[in-house]
Amino acid sequence: MMQNAADNAATLSQAAPVLRIGAVDKYFGATQVLQNCTLDVGDGEIVTLLGPSGCGKTTLLRCIAGFWDADAGRIEIDGQDMTPVPVNRRPVGVVFQSYALFPHLTVARNVGYALRMRGTPASEIEARVTEALRTVSLEGFESRYPAQLSGGQQQRVAIARVLVMQPRVLLLDEPFNALDAKLRSTMQVELRQLIKQLGITSIFVTHDQEEALTMSDRIAVMRGGRIEQAATPDEIFDRPVSSYVADFVGTSNFWDAQAEAGQVTLPDGQSVETGLSGKVRVMSRPHNLRLAPEEQGPWRGVVLFQRHIGPLIEYHVEMPDGATIKVAAIRQDRVRPVRDRAAVSIGIIDSAQVSVFAD
Amino acid sequence: MADVTSSPAISGPGLGEKTLDLLLSGRGIWPAVPSIIVLVVVAVIPFILLLSLGFSDIEVARGEIVSQTFSLNHLTNALSDSLYWTTFKRSLSLALSTTALCLLFGYPVAYLFAVGGRWTRRVILILTIAPLLTSGIVRTYAWLVILGGRGVVNWAFLKLGIVDSPLRIMNTHWAVLIGMVQIHLPVMILPLVAVMSRHDNRLIEASENLGASRLGTLRTIIFPMSAPGIGTGAALVFTLSYTTFVVPQLLGGGNYLNAATMIYEQVVFSLEWSKGSVTSLLLMVTCLAVLVMISLATNYFTGWTKGRDA
Repeated sequence: MMQNAADNAATLSQAAPVLRIGAVDKYFGATQVLQNCTLDVGDGEIVTLLGPSGCGKTTLLRCIAGFWDADAGRIEIDGQDMTPVPVNRRPVGVVFQSYALFPHLTVARNVGYALRMRGTPASEIEARVTEALRTVSLEGFESRYPAQLSGGQQQRVAIARVLVMQPRVLLLDEPFNALDAKLRSTMQVELRQLIKQLGITSIFVTHDQEEALTMSDRIAVMRGGRIEQAATPDEIFDRPVSSYVADFVGTSNFWDAQAEAGQVTLPDGQSVETGLSGKVRVMSRPHNLRLAPEEQGPWRGVVLFQRHIGPLIEYHVEMPDGATIKVAAIRQDRVRPVRDRAAVSIGIIDSAQVSVFAD
Repeated sequence: MADVTSSPAISGPGLGEKTLDLLLSGRGIWPAVPSIIVLVVVAVIPFILLLSLGFSDIEVARGEIVSQTFSLNHLTNALSDSLYWTTFKRSLSLALSTTALCLLFGYPVAYLFAVGGRWTRRVILILTIAPLLTSGIVRTYAWLVILGGRGVVNWAFLKLGIVDSPLRIMNTHWAVLIGMVQIHLPVMILPLVAVMSRHDNRLIEASENLGASRLGTLRTIIFPMSAPGIGTGAALVFTLSYTTFVVPQLLGGGNYLNAATMIYEQVVFSLEWSKGSVTSLLLMVTCLAVLVMISLATNYFTGWTKGRDA
């Protein structure tokens, strides 16, 4: 019986997303900055809005928080339309890019701020502040001021400050921007684990694709105010819907080709099926390519440069038409060292992993 | 360059060049030396002379000082004179109420500046600074036109039937207070604007996101964070209005006595320089006492700015 009830609850929560963004438009004067943005976020799901600056990701975040109103469409939380709900009544917590900690309040008073504004009794505030600080491992920092903390500690205070009010939706606006590279990757993993453990529905905004791949259950890649593709990191990486998504997430090689009779012939002689016809763009990830001695294939070029990225080697191969193709190999798979300026041929490992786009 | 170094007046490692070098090097106390000299000449020496007048009995014969002996008579006389107490109390209450009213009227303006767009900011800045471009005396005279028996205010009140006969505003405490507030308002607004316009708008957004109302944000975030500006503005307005002479003299109609007009009468009319000297000293000491209190209060409320380097 209990099992059944739990199952029902699970299907119910899947059926009704916590956050529904429905056909949201937003204009700044005559410029349209959000165009028909539609996205459902399930209970406990972490979704990243990914895109370059100016793609509308922060605008969408600010519309969810209520700092700005959408010009069309609606934003619902738990089925309730948020349009008439003012900022300070929305069940939404925002972690700001530079944290926006109150410099004149101690850590404890920063974290307890939301509770004081709601008129929570002092004894309960103290208990919940202590608990929130324990959640982010900042016990003992209660009486410090924000300026006395490191960047990583400030970020944790910012997170504790919104967690304490138990928001239904957590919004994080490029929260790792102010941290140095090393701390950033540690904090990314820590924060994802924390959010997952607490089960808070979260929206992340970032322009960093690696961060998006680390943090998210799903990624919504944005372009010019639209959501171009919303899917799991795997799908975004392996089956991008457009050359824009392929280019933005991960390293990619593009070349032009001709589709005839549902087939595209690849430069190494293999062919791949497609529904498109006429001029197409073909994309392959560098790890789906391999180098071979020149005489072994028709797709030939000269190794310009080798880049060592941890366990990977990335070869930059210059083709006769001047384009550069990137080929990645795992260090221990390398049969023998490749010299710079060596003439090589490139082969495609799995033609099914090649993407064909219309543009 | 070649001409300068070959000039006989500057060439060679003379004492003058060394001194000039030290003054211009920007190291240590040296660059401040010229202004220190000016300060000593125009402020410290006259102040010592003033004190020597206040604390001595002087005999004058045929325009010459014939004897000067140390005495506390002037000070004890002043402290036992009830006129001194009422005058200083009036000065103090006038200055404190001016400061409070300037804060009350100036704060919304500074807030509007902080949250306003480019044009709002421009207009506020122009309206705040423009009055400073004319002399305080001119601005005070303008109040004569406005507040006088046949001035704008009374004309409007009579026309609207609010009063039957012209109100007597001029030459009262109220005229002085109105003038004081108007004259000193910019001095309150400018430091407030300086502090408040540095505010990060995201702090206000964060506070609203955390559930604070507009009023809650004002009370818990904006107001406490502007404490340094309030402290500076209050100190400036208090000092200026506590020691002011022009406004009470013109708008008070010559018989409004505050500490400054009292000194003026003692020095210019009754020629009691020693009395004037003691009054000046009392004015300065009491002014400093209030400034210390303002500064202590400001420090108490801005403790958070101290930990920055820790």
